Amino acid sequence: MTALHVLTLILVVVGAALAFWFRDLLAAVIALAGSSLLLSLEFYLLQAPDVAIAEAGIGAALTVAIYILAIRKTHYKEEE
Amino acid sequence: MKRWLFLASLLILAGYFIAGGVWLRPFGEPARSEMDRYFIEHAQTEVAANNVVTAIVFDYRGYDTLGEATVLFAAVVGVALLLRRARG
Amino acid sequence: MSVIVRTVSRVVAPVALAFGAYVIMHGHLTPGGGFQGGAVVASVVALLVVAFGCERWRKWTHVLLPLEDVGAMAFVILAFLGVGATFFRNVLAGSGGLFGAPVPQLGPNPGALNTAGTLPLMNWAVGFKVIAGLGAVVLLLALFGREDG
Repeated sequence: MTALHVLTLILVVVGAALAFWFRDLLAAVIALAGSSLLLSLEFYLLQAPDVAIAEAGIGAALTVAIYILAIRKTHYKEEE
Repeated sequence: MKRWLFLASLLILAGYFIAGGVWLRPFGEPARSEMDRYFIEHAQTEVAANNVVTAIVFDYRGYDTLGEATVLFAAVVGVALLLRRARG
Repeated sequence: MSVIVRTVSRVVAPVALAFGAYVIMHGHLTPGGGFQGGAVVASVVALLVVAFGCERWRKWTHVLLPLEDVGAMAFVILAFLGVGATFFRNVLAGSGGLFGAPVPQLGPNPGALNTAGTLPLMNWAVGFKVIAGLGAVVLLLALFGREDG
């Protein structure tokens, strides 16, 4: 159980770091979505299914849709 | 100078995080539990709801939900005012 | 979007819609509630907007924005129902009428839909509010900056 917690949290941090690292904004948003989905898995493991559903709906679906709509109307690449 | 300041604040922040992780209470054993014990024992008779979380959110702590609804309302009104096309 | 995205959306959208309605409807029995189920249904709205384009949903903003206000008003009116005792007093719980069936004193039970007083009604009010609010936000962001219309 503890190993699953540690693995999930490490993957959350890796996803957040990838979202910071990518120059392509679309890839960064998708890394953020993966990080958010793993965070919702961590909430589920901590026995908070309410928060897990809210995190999966808001963090992994709606925020990503809003970011993608914003990127589509501006630039696809991060500016130097 | 700036780099030293950055490193010092980073060390302090990391120390706080590590101390918080080390001194974390065991899972499922809160320090003071009078309030949650009251909720768990009385929610089914007072609110007649099986889901204690919903009983707290909509009954015992209804004002918080009202505030959350107000925040969402303000966000939607702001987006609608900014992005909706003006007619005429 | 491509034909793959549209086909997958046609399969996924009804399932996610049913799950969101379940989470709202059983908010007083199972984990979840109005906000969580509303977020799930609003993510279906976002999926449809991204997959099928936003032009065909343009008229829905005139429905969603008033629906958000209706949900908020219903929530506040349900809270005012118990103002004889206190604000947010659950007047329907255990009264024997609508959603008024009693539950056993402390302990597990199979769970009946007809319990918990004003809580299911408040779940529906907040659910409609969140569906309409978040759906309208996504739709307005998608429609922003379009030349025609």
